[in-house]
Formats: sequence, structure tokens, C-alpha cells
Amino acid sequence: MKNLIYAELLKLRTTRMIYGLALAALALVGISAISAISVAGNSRGGPALNTAAGIRNVIAAGSAGSTLVLVIGILIMAGEFRHNTATSTFLISPHRGRVVAAKLAASALVGGALALLSSALTLAVALPWLAAKHIHVDIFSHNVGLVLLGGIAATTIYATVGVGVGSLIRNQMAAVIIALAWVSIVDSLLVTFAHEIGKWTPGGAAGALANRVAGDGLLPMWGGALLFVAYGVAFAAAGTRFTIRRDVS
Amino acid sequence: MTSIQINGLTKRFGNVVAVDNLNFEVAQGSVTGFLGPNGAGKTTTLRMLLGLVEPTAGSSTIAGKPYRELVDPFRHVGAVLESTSFHPGRRARDHLRVLCVAAGLTVSRVDQVLDEVGLADVGDRRVKGFSLGMRQRLGLAAALLGEPEVLILDEPANGLDPEGVHWLRKFLRTYADQGRSVLVSSHLLAEIAQTVDDVVIIAKGRLVTQSSLADLADRTKPGVWVRTPQAQVLRDALAAKGIAAEVQSAESVVALETTTEAVGIAAAGAGVVIFEMTAKHFDLEEFFLELTTPTTNPITEGASR
Repeated sequence: MKNLIYAELLKLRTTRMIYGLALAALALVGISAISAISVAGNSRGGPALNTAAGIRNVIAAGSAGSTLVLVIGILIMAGEFRHNTATSTFLISPHRGRVVAAKLAASALVGGALALLSSALTLAVALPWLAAKHIHVDIFSHNVGLVLLGGIAATTIYATVGVGVGSLIRNQMAAVIIALAWVSIVDSLLVTFAHEIGKWTPGGAAGALANRVAGDGLLPMWGGALLFVAYGVAFAAAGTRFTIRRDVS
Repeated sequence: MTSIQINGLTKRFGNVVAVDNLNFEVAQGSVTGFLGPNGAGKTTTLRMLLGLVEPTAGSSTIAGKPYRELVDPFRHVGAVLESTSFHPGRRARDHLRVLCVAAGLTVSRVDQVLDEVGLADVGDRRVKGFSLGMRQRLGLAAALLGEPEVLILDEPANGLDPEGVHWLRKFLRTYADQGRSVLVSSHLLAEIAQTVDDVVIIAKGRLVTQSSLADLADRTKPGVWVRTPQAQVLRDALAAKGIAAEVQSAESVVALETTTEAVGIAAAGAGVVIFEMTAKHFDLEEFFLELTTPTTNPITEGASR
């Protein structure tokens, strides 16, 4: 099992894809943090920076790269079918459940590491800037620390959801497009315009966990956490089951 | 000793029966050619043998166990299934490193197998720049990592240049001579005829024959093709002497399992005029075609070419 996880991490390190996506995710986080601070307090920019909600909005930029982490998870699994490498992967380990488990672990590790970097980047952008505006931010406070942790958790779970999606939809391109459209269009629209439904979607749950969607009507953070973990487990289980049963040809 | 055993293997895709109650075995220390035209079910059979495709019925074992139950299968069985199974952006050496790590093998094997297949100089290149022949070699390198006692190759000669094919033949021969077993599929008998000890021939998912190559060669027949204006008269004259013959067209006859001398004597006895006469040895390839496409007769068709 340990060997399989190492192999998955080595697979990621030996192609350029992961570096491009990681850079893109970090760029997204940086831009989100900058724009959150720039527009705070405006009529469309949400609460002012000197309020707790305003600070939460800025810190939540740390999970802005989570959709790209979802894509990384998808590529870890669907890439095996895109390039036909699934054959040699399953020849080495005919116990496909172990292969999927190793991919889930590797994806979560990479997603988690990227989430930590994203949090650090957000703080690096926000703390000096806010200090210059004479706003003191205590990163160990309930307000900031919890949002950071929620963002890291949400991003990590997105990485495992990606592996599940990549197992269920083996066409890599289709999997990426469907997942991105789902998270960034369908869930967002539901959360914004029909939050009674939207709060139960994966995007709504992740938003509640990461405190990224600053709107009423979402579940409380702990509720979002439970629901999003449940989504992660469901996608992982469905993906594993599907992968074990399908013929590889 | 048997190293691969296929028992009643069957695979149905919807209404299509890709493999139909197939039985055969591969002896240890031999090279076995797995032959059949494209679409005969060779690849599906190999994928079932390797646990990649679930059979509808039947079973298969390698070294006495189903593939999925082998402990460390990579150390027992090496397989090359398609030439495209690499990430194009990954370097050849990295591809092999990944497999080594996953299989728990020492990474020093990477350079050894690259050397063995003649790719040592290009190991640091990304696979997308590889020719089909280089990909085949890289696939073979991957299969050799675990120093397996059984090697399974699906159409390995595809994309190899004549020198590459020659190299592959020598490689497989040496491999089997070390007491290990090779199962190699092909749609061309000629491609592997010089290498294999035994052949398993399938068509439309069914076993046509399993025999040694020597026995197969014994079953090919010599024949004589004759051009004459009296085709029917000659046929009857040959038949009277117990020589099987067929009228092919108004002007030609094919006599089977006989010699030009025997045909000439029969023709003279019946007063038949002969314009042209050729002895033909119908080769293994034609015989293979006959076995796998039962609707045509290669003896007569081959003669009219």
C-alpha cells in the first residue's frame, strides 16, 4: 500500500501537469485575496474590513484554488484511462481497490499540501496589507483560524471527490468539464438563487465548510463539514466500486 | 510443466461472443504463438488471462493460480499489451521508475532493462518523441522489470523495423531457452514462424488448432497447377489414378498432393494437351489463412494468383 502511494506521488512529479495546475491554483488564491481586500466595504464587495465578517471574507480566499485541486484529483484517476496506463497499473496491483485507495491518499496529500500553501499565501498577502490599514488580525483567533482550517479541509476533500469523479467518468476531458460546470455553475446558481436546495449540494457544503460563500442560507460550518465529508466518502466509494467491476480494455 | 492454462474461457459483449469456450495451454520453457486474424479474440483472451477483463465463463491460470491471486504478480508475469500505454509527457526512465516503486522492486532494475532492450541512450527523453518501435521496446522493458518467468506479448512486432523484428525473435528465443515461457500473439504467422515452438490458432473466438509448429508444417500440402483447354478431361483422368483434383476454371486444374511427373503421365495417358504446369508448395501462411477463414480454399485460390 505504501509503495502504491509513493508510486502515485512519483507519477504526479514526473509530468508537468501538476506544476501547471498548482501554479494556477496559487495564482487564483493570490488574485482572490487581493480582490477581496480591494473591494471590501464597497456596495458589492460585502462587509467592511473592520468587521469579523469582512476578515473572514478575505481569509476565505485561501480555498479559492479548490476547484483546480478537484481537477488534479480527476486527472490522477481519469489520466490512467486517457493514456492507457491503467493496464500496467492494474497488472502490478490486480487488487484495484488498493490502487484507488492509493490514489485517494496521494490526491488528498497533494490537495492538502496545496491548501496549506494557499493559506500561507493568503496570509502573506492579507496580513501586511491589513496592517497597513491599521487592522490587526490574530490568525489564531476563532474567526481566522477556523476559516483557514475549513478551507484546508474543503480543498483536501475536493481532491478525493476528484478521484471519485475521475473513476466514474473515464473520459478525462468530459470528467473535467462536467465537474467544473457542476461546481462553478450549477452549485453556485443553486446556492445563490435556491439556497434551500443549494445548501445541500457539494458546492454548498464545501462553501459552508470553507466559509467561502458569504451568504445566508448555507448550513453551519460543522454541518457543511459533515455533509462534504459524506460527499467525499460517497464519491470515493462509488469510484472504487466502479473501478473494481469495470473491464480494462 | 504447464505455465499457462486456459479452461473454457468465454467472453460475451452484449450479443457478440468475442471468445467462445477456449481451451489451451502453454508449456514451460517454450515460445507459443497465439495466432488469429484481427478480431479473433486474441487481445480479449490475454486481458482475461491477466485479470483485466472479467470472463463471462471459464477460468485461466498462470503458474497454477489466477492472475489476481498471484502474490507480487509483476515478479511472475511480464506483459506488453499495447504500444501506447505511456503518459506522453513522462520520461522513459521515469515511467519505469514508477512501475518499480509500485511493484516494490529495486530502482536499479530500470537501467538494466533499458540496456537490455537497447534504449539506454534515450531513457531521459519524454515518451511523446518515441517511435512506435521504441514504444514497443519500452513496453518490453517494463515487462522485464520483475524478471518474470512468464512473458505475454500482444502483437509485439507491430511497428518494429526488420532489424527490430530480428532482435525480438532472438530475444524471445534466448528467454525461453532459459526455461521461461513466452506467449506471443500475432495476426501474421510468418512474423513468428521462425521463433515459436508451438502454435495456438483461433478464429472468431474459437480454438482452431493447437499443435507444435513442426506438426503444423507437416499438414501443409504440395500441389500442381495446370493450364489446359481440356480441364474436365484431365480432372477425370487424374481422379481415375486416385489423384484428387479440382477444375478451377475452363482452362485450369489444380491437383493436390501430387507431383508434376504424376500429372504429366496422367495427361499423356488421356491425350490431354498441356500449355503450362507449375508445382506449388502451399506454405504455412496460406495454410494458416485456410484454417482461420474456412470459406475460402487457399490451395485453389493460391494457385490462381
